[in-house]
Amino acid sequence: MKRDGTAQAPARLAPLRRRGLRLAAAATLGAAVIWWAAYPVSGGGGGTRLMLVIAIAAGAMSLAQLAVTATVTRHPDGLTAADRIAAHATGLVMMLPWAELMTVAVLVLEALHSSRPWHTAVLAVALTGYLLAVHLAETDAGASTLRALLPLLSAGLGLTALSVGSAALPDLPAGPVVTLIRIGAVALAAVAAGLAVPVWLGRGQ
Amino acid sequence: MASPAEPVGTRHLPLRWGLSAYARRLVTLALAGLIIAIVTRRAEFAGLTAPALLMLATWRPDRAAQLTVRVSLDTPTVVEGTEVLVTVELSGQDELDARLTVDPGDHILAGTAVVMPAGHSRRVARVALEPTRWGRRSLGVLVITYTDRYRLAEGRAVLELPEIQCRPLPAGLRSSIVLSRLPSRLGEHPARSTGDGGEFAGVREFVPGDRQRRINWPATTRHGTVHLTTFAAERTQNVVVIADETTDVGDPGSTSLDFVLRGAAGAITRYLAARDRVGLVIFAGRLSWIGPGQGQRHHQRLLDLMMATPGGWERAVGLTRLPRAALPPGSLIIVFSPLLDPRLIEALRDVRERGFSVIVVDVLNSEPGHEGSRVSSLAGRLWRLEQEAIRFSLTQIGVPGVHWDGVSSLDEPLAPYTRRVLVAHR
Repeated sequence: MKRDGTAQAPARLAPLRRRGLRLAAAATLGAAVIWWAAYPVSGGGGGTRLMLVIAIAAGAMSLAQLAVTATVTRHPDGLTAADRIAAHATGLVMMLPWAELMTVAVLVLEALHSSRPWHTAVLAVALTGYLLAVHLAETDAGASTLRALLPLLSAGLGLTALSVGSAALPDLPAGPVVTLIRIGAVALAAVAAGLAVPVWLGRGQ
Repeated sequence: MASPAEPVGTRHLPLRWGLSAYARRLVTLALAGLIIAIVTRRAEFAGLTAPALLMLATWRPDRAAQLTVRVSLDTPTVVEGTEVLVTVELSGQDELDARLTVDPGDHILAGTAVVMPAGHSRRVARVALEPTRWGRRSLGVLVITYTDRYRLAEGRAVLELPEIQCRPLPAGLRSSIVLSRLPSRLGEHPARSTGDGGEFAGVREFVPGDRQRRINWPATTRHGTVHLTTFAAERTQNVVVIADETTDVGDPGSTSLDFVLRGAAGAITRYLAARDRVGLVIFAGRLSWIGPGQGQRHHQRLLDLMMATPGGWERAVGLTRLPRAALPPGSLIIVFSPLLDPRLIEALRDVRERGFSVIVVDVLNSEPGHEGSRVSSLAGRLWRLEQEAIRFSLTQIGVPGVHWDGVSSLDEPLAPYTRRVLVAHR
C-alpha cells in the first residue's frame, strides 16, 4: 500500500513461498495437536482409534482446502474429462468445514482419555495456535494482524492456566501450598481481566 | 491502444455481514469445549475454551450496511494473453481492512487477492486479470470482503465486472508477399515500371522534358550523348485477407478458428505496417467484409469486424461468389482456412477464375477421432485422401497452399513466396 492508499497490483509468484510456509506451519501444528490429543492411543476409551482416523482425515482435508484456496484461481474450459474431475474434486474438498470437524474430533479424543489437566492446557495452546495458523494461511494476512489479539490471547491462556490449577486443587492436601495457589489464581484472574476488559471496551474504536 | 482509464461507474453496494470462517472455528471450539466440560465434569475443558471465548467477546453488533465502490478498466480492448488492470476505488469504512478477490469468468486468469489495509479514507487497488482466449468476455465477479480489527466479522459485497473485448494474438509475420504487378498507387514496394522511387532501374538516353539532375555523367561521357539514371516506381498493393470462420475444429485454445483469427490478425497487422491497403472478408454463416484501406483507424475497424462476426455453420446463400467491391482488381488474396467447407473451395475457384492471385494458409491441425476399428481407420484414410484431393485441385488451378501449425511464425510456411515477387497470372 502506498501513502496515497493505492495498493500494488498482485505479483503472481512472489507470495508462493510465504503461502507454502504458512501451509507448512498449519500442517505441523495440526499434526502436533492430533498427536498430543491421541497419545497414548491405548490409554483412551472406546472409539479412540475411530476418532483418531476422523481427526487425521479432517486435518488432511482442511490442509487441502487451504491449498485450493491459496491456488491461483483459474476456470477450466470444462470440456475435457480432466477438467470435470478437477472441478468435482475441488467441490468435494470445499464442501465441509474440515478445520471445525478436526477441532471437535481432537477435543473428543482428549476427552476419551482420563483427566490430565496440564495436558489439556497444552492442547488448548496448540489448538488456538492451529486455528490462528489456518486463519493466516487462508486469508494471506500478515502476522501483524494478530497484534490486536495479543492481550486477549494472553488473558485467555491465563484463564486456561487458572482452570488447570482449579482442576488440580481437589487432589492437593490442605495447607499453605493450596492457599498460595488460591492467591495466585485470584491474581491471575485479575491480570486476565485487566488485559481483556480494555480491549472489550475499546472494540468500537 | 493505450487510452485513459475507462470509467465503469460508481456504485453503492449493500454489505452483508456474517461470521468469518475464523470466528466460526472459535465458536466451534468454545461450544465443543463447554459441552465436553459439562458432560465429563472436567473443568480443564472449560479453561480450554477461554482464549476462544475472550476473542469472541470483541464482537460488535453495529456495522455499516453499504459501501461505495468505483470500478474502471485501463483499456476496453486487450490482446489475448495480455493483462488488463481493473482499478477499484473504495470510499468509506476506512477503519476496516478490505480484501478484493475475483471469481473470474470463462477463459480469464485471475491473480491473487489484493488486501487493502485500513487507515485510508480513499483506497485504490489495481487487480490484474488476463484473458486467455479471444472474444467478448465477462471478466467475472469482484468480491469485496471487509474484515473488522479482530477478524470476527466479514462484510461481503459482490459486483459484476464489465465485459472486455479480447482480440486474437496476431501471428508473427515479418516478411510479406509482393505481387509482380502492382496498381499505380503510391506506396513502398519497388515496381517494374520506372518512376520516382529510390531503387536503381537502369540508364537510358535523355529525351526533352527529362529532369537534368538525373543525368548520369559516366554514361554520358562514354556514349557521347546525354544519358539519364532511371529509378523504379514505388507502389502499394491491395491485400485482401479472407478468414474462414465456417468451421471450428480442434482442442480448445488451438482450434482451427483460433488459428484463422490469429493468422488473419498477423497478416493484417504486417501489411498495414508496410503501408499496403488491406481489406478483410469474413467467410462465415453470413459474409462480412471491409474493402482495402490504410491507417490505424482502418486497422481497428478490421479487427473489430473480425470480433463482431459470429462464427456459424448455418446454410447461407450467396457465399460462393465474393463481392467485387470487397476485391479490387489486382489484389493479393490471402486465405486462412482449414479448407473443410466446400463453399469456400468454390469461392476460391471463382476468385482465381477472375484473375486474382490467391494463396491459402491451411490451418487444419486435427483429424476426426476414430475408435481404432478397421472401418473407422478406413474412413479416416478416405477423409485424408479427400483432403489431399482438395488441396491438389486448388494447386492445379494456381492457388498454392501452405500449412501453418498455429505455433510458429507465419514467415516459415510463407517463405517460398516472400523471397521473391509473386508473379500475378491471369
